[in-house]
Amino acid sequence: MTLPIILFISVAVMLILLLTWAVRPPKKTQLSVDDVFNALSEKRHYARLPQILQSLRDEDTDFLYTKGHDALANRLRRDRKYIALRYLNYLEDEYRLLLEASRILARVAPEVSPIAEFDRFRLNVRFVLACRYLRWRLRLGLQPWDVFGILSDMEGDLTLRLEAAATRIGERAAMASEFPLFLENRGRDSK
Amino acid sequence: MSLRDLSWALNTLLELVLLSYLLRRKLYRSHTPFFIYIVAVILQSAIVAASYRYLGEGSVASFNIAWTTQAIVICARWFAVIDIARKAFAGFSGIWELAVRVLFVGTACVLIYSIWSAGNRWTLAVLTADRAEELCIAAFIVFLLIFVRYYGMPLNDFERMLAIGFVLYSCFAVINISIYEHFRRPFAPLWNYLEMLTFIASLTLWVVAIRRYAESTEVAIEPTLTEEHYLELSEKLNSRLHLLNHRLDHLFRSGDPRP
Repeated sequence: MTLPIILFISVAVMLILLLTWAVRPPKKTQLSVDDVFNALSEKRHYARLPQILQSLRDEDTDFLYTKGHDALANRLRRDRKYIALRYLNYLEDEYRLLLEASRILARVAPEVSPIAEFDRFRLNVRFVLACRYLRWRLRLGLQPWDVFGILSDMEGDLTLRLEAAATRIGERAAMASEFPLFLENRGRDSK
Repeated sequence: MSLRDLSWALNTLLELVLLSYLLRRKLYRSHTPFFIYIVAVILQSAIVAASYRYLGEGSVASFNIAWTTQAIVICARWFAVIDIARKAFAGFSGIWELAVRVLFVGTACVLIYSIWSAGNRWTLAVLTADRAEELCIAAFIVFLLIFVRYYGMPLNDFERMLAIGFVLYSCFAVINISIYEHFRRPFAPLWNYLEMLTFIASLTLWVVAIRRYAESTEVAIEPTLTEEHYLELSEKLNSRLHLLNHRLDHLFRSGDPRP
């Protein structure tokens, strides 16, 4: 069999596999427009990053070793690692929520920017991979500094983009509110 | 009666059953392109059967008739597929604009690759063109369903089943043609039989879908941005904009970077 034939068959099989994934019912529940705005107005977890990073530094617990409290220092480091893992879970949840919010905004928006959507998709893949990598680093007791920074920056970046998108829709809404007669006429027409 | 004749008879029977359901449930109004496609398929079966009988299976005239009618059926299938996409994205103008570009660019890439990879084997030109088109349809629908899933858009079960039927048929046709391209003549009788078998599977899926569609109540697709929603949204956004302005004022006045 030649390579193109094998490739054609592989593409067809891949499409069938993608189809089975695409037709599966989604696991998560749908968010409402209210949830979008709650997601934007809630206090962000990424703001707690400096404290988490500080707590993971060895220097933060070194003084306990110098004082001879080895057991306490070990326990403290273990607990802090556990807290960091929990923080990571929250960060992931928050990112997912923001991503879901961005999808809702895309659904209600009269115009969607393809570049922004692809960028978000790319960011999502990067975030998921970095999150998994970081979780394993933490579990193995390795320093997570760089990856943590990237993840928090990504989440912050997504929030800013969402706020910008919401602002754009807000501007349209503000413009529309200046033309109540137009809306009224439109409503009457649709009836 | 041979196995091929039996499968041909089953194929025609299922097509007629599907057509009768479409007529009885008056779905030809809401799903006109799909209805036209099924009618085209039935007519093609009748014309090809007549040409085989009176002109002979191996004649050039029969070959031309079979592939000309196939081109018409493919056009009808494209219209049916585009109709599914149009229904899926109805009310989501923003995503529709994006999806149209992605779907057409994606399928154009598949088409270019298919034609390019066919090389200079012009003896198989009709078959490779058919494979390219089948791959395009499958890719188009799969991308469409991925979009629907990614954005959590509502899609009627009937349309979903129609889409699945089209993809399965197209994907198996691609596999079938690719295998035929390798084995050629010895595979020909089996190739014909397998093609019919995959279409029987798709027809069965559509008959089941149409039966379920008749039993269940139609899914009401809630408009995403009603006037009420829109006003609520604008109100919330305005208050949020006020808040941002307030924070900015605070920053300017106090010189404190904290909000």
